[in-house]
Amino acid sequence: MNPVFMAQWMKEKRSPLMVLLFCGLSIIATLLFGQSADSKLKIGAFPASGVEADTAEEWLEVLNANDAIEFIMMDERKARSEVNEGRTDAAIQLMEKDYRIIASIDNPNVQLVGQIVHSAFMEELQLRAAEQFSNDAKAFREGVESFLENPPLAVGVQTPDGKDLIEYDMNLQLLFTFTLFLACFTIGYKINSITMEKVSGIWSRMILSPVRKSEMYMGHLMYSSLIGFIQIVTVFLLFRYIVGFDLGGRFGMLIIVAALYTLTIVAFSMLLTGILRTPEQFNMVFPSVIPIMPLISGAYMPPGTITNQFLLLVSEVLPLKHAVDAMVKISIYDAGWPDVFLPLAKLSMIGVICMGVGINLMERRKG
Amino acid sequence: MLEAVELRKVFKGKTAVDHVSLYLDEGESVGLLGPNGAGKSTTISLISSLLAPSSGDVRLNGNSVIAKPQQLREVIGVVPQEIALYEALSAYENLKFFGRIYRLQGKQLEMKIQELLEVIGLRDRQKELIKTYSGGMKRRVNIAAALMHDPKFVIMDEPTVGIDPQSRNHILETVRLLNREKGTTVLYTSHYMEEVEQLCSRVYIMDHGRIIAAGTTEELRRILSGEDTLLLQLDKPDEKLAQELRELEPVRQVEEMDSGLKLIVTKQSHLLSEVVQAAERHRVQIINIHVQTPTLEDVFLHLTGRTLRD
Repeated sequence: MNPVFMAQWMKEKRSPLMVLLFCGLSIIATLLFGQSADSKLKIGAFPASGVEADTAEEWLEVLNANDAIEFIMMDERKARSEVNEGRTDAAIQLMEKDYRIIASIDNPNVQLVGQIVHSAFMEELQLRAAEQFSNDAKAFREGVESFLENPPLAVGVQTPDGKDLIEYDMNLQLLFTFTLFLACFTIGYKINSITMEKVSGIWSRMILSPVRKSEMYMGHLMYSSLIGFIQIVTVFLLFRYIVGFDLGGRFGMLIIVAALYTLTIVAFSMLLTGILRTPEQFNMVFPSVIPIMPLISGAYMPPGTITNQFLLLVSEVLPLKHAVDAMVKISIYDAGWPDVFLPLAKLSMIGVICMGVGINLMERRKG
Repeated sequence: MLEAVELRKVFKGKTAVDHVSLYLDEGESVGLLGPNGAGKSTTISLISSLLAPSSGDVRLNGNSVIAKPQQLREVIGVVPQEIALYEALSAYENLKFFGRIYRLQGKQLEMKIQELLEVIGLRDRQKELIKTYSGGMKRRVNIAAALMHDPKFVIMDEPTVGIDPQSRNHILETVRLLNREKGTTVLYTSHYMEEVEQLCSRVYIMDHGRIIAAGTTEELRRILSGEDTLLLQLDKPDEKLAQELRELEPVRQVEEMDSGLKLIVTKQSHLLSEVVQAAERHRVQIINIHVQTPTLEDVFLHLTGRTLRD
């Protein structure tokens, strides 16, 4: 097994571009798409003519007290042009004691902006009105704030087991998706070298040598698994320690899931190599099939987006769905082994079946 | 001794190798001659245990090796027709890999690599990547890779296809060295008649999956002992003339060549005048007539009605 493994490594050392390229693509894609996945709505605000900049800043502070929308002060022309060109749903013109919503269409986002801005203005104007009847306006404001901090009746949202509701981090899901998806390519192309060796005659030469067939397969499979696994772990480590992503407190579990996923993709690639006859066919079919995997799995979208029963059924046989599912549970919901048993069991089953059928098909082809 | 006994291989209903029997005595250099598609490569795959035969047997020193080919694999080296090397690695790294799969290591491995690089004349360029080599250099490394474990039997499948004359001569010299100085038994497959005539003491001629003739080169030439080869150099090609000559009683085969016609004819004194008369009738000028003793190429033409390169 060692010579086969080492030959692959020697080839890799000569041309490491592919692995580096897919590592880089994982990082770039996560950073690019992760930013656009920021769920907070961004709305431009600008002061009306004659309104002091300080007054507008005060209103901006009041508006930004909410968590759902981020209001950003900007030039009027820019704010209006962004609305006109459809880059944002609305903008707010801030007046002394009033506001105006600038929108080109009426949609749920515009309505949400309207509700939040209306509620913030009403509350603030009511407080200002009440201040006028108090002797000490500053003390009155502090009293109200203190009262709101300890209200007689509080409404909160909690999980069934009494914990605070966890905010879903789409960035993490995208990190897992892109990293696992791009590792498929590295692994797939490495597995394809078995077919390349068969076509070139190197495989036949090895068959005539004392190396057993199981060792020949193991050398290739071990190498492909290891290179794919290293790629995934490198990207995870980079995001954890350099970019600063919070991957949760169970990083070790993530690594084990990554290892299992790698083995499953190796098996999946073996199945495709078994079905397809030449390296050229593999090079044509593999990059066409693999990108469908995250789409059908719904891995690019927030959970629950895909509702079509057929697509959900198909996604059950795709390794990426189960791996991302397990990783999201571990990192975002702090899940333990019993919680991720089902996706991992499905991953293992896909791996075993694909490997068995794949090797069988490859061996039968010899004739 | 390595023998193939009544080997037969059928692929999807098509018989690629049909009851082929041959043997290799130790120290011999044997040629397997045939045109493309004759079944030579399949025969080699069957003999070397890469393919299981549909029927027949392969025996090493009298023992069948079909069921347990390990004993055979230890003593044979196969040089495939294709360049079975890692293009991204150097000649040295390739030989190291093939040495390691034969369990060679340390000094023994290093010495073997250097010895073979010397034999194939690439010691100075051993660190260069295979993909930068010429076709001939690749073929030389391809041969060396099959010799890493000092096999007793070397089976070469068209080792000189598509290479320059210099590399070809180098390869032929390597085969001679292996056979004559090291005593390695060689089965040399080719469709280049002159290579087989130069290298091999015995020849099997194969066509359409069957052995159609076998013997020493002299024995094979004797098939045509009652015949002559007549080379007619003509001023222009003429199919009608070729057709008329084919119909003459003493003419066995007529092959059209670039410069004229090649006739295999029974030794007969009156033929030349008939040929000249036929050429006159067709207004074709005979520039030159050459009578030669038959070559293996002529034997093949006689046996199959076509040339090796058809």
